[in-house]
Amino acid sequence: MSVGNMKRTGGTEMINPKEKIQLRKTDSPTRKSFSERMVEYGQIDKEFVVFESDIGYSTYSYLFGDKYPDRYFNMGIAELGTMAAAAGMAADGRTVIVSGYGVFLTMRAVEVVRSFICYPHLNVKILSSHGGLTAAIDGVTHQATEDIAYMSTLPDMKVLAPCDTYSARAAFDIAVKTPGPVFTRLMRDPLWDIYTEKDTFVLGGSHVVREGKDITLVSYGDIVFQALEAAEVLAKEGIDAEVIDMYSVKPFDKDTLLESARRTKAVLVAENHQKRNGLGYEIGTFLLKNYPWEKMGQKPLKFDHLGLEDTFGESGNYFKVIDKYGISGRAIAEAARRLLKGSDR
Amino acid sequence: MGTMVHTEPSLDERVAFLKKQAQQVRLHIVKMIHKAQSGHPGGSLSAADIMTALYFDILNVDPKNPKWPDRDRFVLSKGHACPVWYVCLALKGFFPVEELDTLRQFESRLQGHPVSTKTPGVDATTGSLGIGFAQAIGMALEGKWLKKSYKVYALLGDGEMQEGVVWEAAASANKYKLDNLVAIIDNNNLQNDGFTDRIMPIEPLDKKFEAFGWTTRRIDGHNMEQVLSTLREAKVHRGTPFCIIAQTVKGKGVSFMENVRGWHGKPPSDQELAQAIKEIEGGLK
Repeated sequence: MSVGNMKRTGGTEMINPKEKIQLRKTDSPTRKSFSERMVEYGQIDKEFVVFESDIGYSTYSYLFGDKYPDRYFNMGIAELGTMAAAAGMAADGRTVIVSGYGVFLTMRAVEVVRSFICYPHLNVKILSSHGGLTAAIDGVTHQATEDIAYMSTLPDMKVLAPCDTYSARAAFDIAVKTPGPVFTRLMRDPLWDIYTEKDTFVLGGSHVVREGKDITLVSYGDIVFQALEAAEVLAKEGIDAEVIDMYSVKPFDKDTLLESARRTKAVLVAENHQKRNGLGYEIGTFLLKNYPWEKMGQKPLKFDHLGLEDTFGESGNYFKVIDKYGISGRAIAEAARRLLKGSDR
Repeated sequence: MGTMVHTEPSLDERVAFLKKQAQQVRLHIVKMIHKAQSGHPGGSLSAADIMTALYFDILNVDPKNPKWPDRDRFVLSKGHACPVWYVCLALKGFFPVEELDTLRQFESRLQGHPVSTKTPGVDATTGSLGIGFAQAIGMALEGKWLKKSYKVYALLGDGEMQEGVVWEAAASANKYKLDNLVAIIDNNNLQNDGFTDRIMPIEPLDKKFEAFGWTTRRIDGHNMEQVLSTLREAKVHRGTPFCIIAQTVKGKGVSFMENVRGWHGKPPSDQELAQAIKEIEGGLK
């Protein structure tokens, strides 16, 4: 595991975008992988502490508490007070991890994150589980489908959204090594692994996890797998899709995006989040301003964006729910076909 | 540098000095808010005696080294009362007294509400009620964790007690036995819209804090002898967090502001300033 400067990886031992990605089933949700790395890191760096609001057995922060009881503060079911106390303990520069569910940390405590963590530039790192509809089974109150919008809007905040065990572990390292506040969106349930410990991750980086020439599918977190599935479906129809894992949501990898968009001339962002103020809005605005429109001839760039359409989710099986709300592999493939045909534009 | 070695004056001498100093503080408060034509005089004046005692007797701070790691921490949880804090910091030597004239002005270090990254001596950014107190919990935890002997003092408004997060913080101070934490409640019974006991009653504060495992004292927040002796007791207290409920009068020291709702966040006119100065200077003699 390392956090290097490479933005893209290749080579035989690392993820190879020229080859079909093997999705490897995992038992470890990203919330657990992140917490496990936190425990390991506790040995390397003995100065950081962890604040929890009584869901340590769910975020797996209890693993840290078991090993380092004097560095673990369970502040009770009180996310606002927990976040503010974390700010207080971070006031002189200490790194404080705050662990909890996305809905509570990014919404109940958002003002503290804004005014008392981001504004004074404190080293508070938010371990935020149950991102998007990955908490499908728990229902809307536990589904953080606006967390990226809230967090990425805050000045000084950095936002990470790893998709698998290895990127989640790397996200912890990035979070603690990056000065100031960092938010990491994690998932409730285990899905797949695509990376290995040889892959490197960096703030502002991305991975092209599949190369293609016809369309660029951009995603982060769990929807990366859906984009890869869509790419497989599209390949059978002769559509060659590139898939970018934009694990660093803020800042995002503008160079890789722009380079890919120039080649494919079609960008489709899919995210497990409200469409409004998600990464797709950010990328759309970025491309409007930075894409070399005049140089690209008659059909310069097609763009579309999938996410929650100004609606809440619901309880149920994760795969059924993401399909209903239009961010499954099937839905992404369908949107890609539509986009390339140009019939809905 | 930093430890204050006094040749101990008698309590009476200290009290006499602090009483005079508090009137100086009040004078600067009304002048700076008048100059800015913006700010919160009522809650600044009610806290003037407490703040004076803190800065000129209790707190172990070093104006030459504001970030001195062993300093006592002070958090103004009722952040809108920052004029009284800025005055104390200036008179203590953290920045020039003339700078008080820049309160709330463009590019001033003296922001409308306290900002830790801008003003020397300000340990915590505050202004959203209840949150400063909750931050003080973390600062006290940090002190405990580092096995430092400094204390964390937080000044709260009584209206602020209506914020739920105050009670989250109060509970956690008990759990972690934060006997390095002192909360002082400026109990002036007046908030923006009216009397606290009518807007949303928060009493009995002493019983509530005792139920949360705190040691409490109820004092007259304008009786300097009581203020000083209770703060000195809090300073050496061990075993539990310590809460001082200081009965005060909002606008104290300026007759037409005293206990009048409208003076929460309103600057005095030229005429009102002249009257206020006259009254405060009268109190100085």
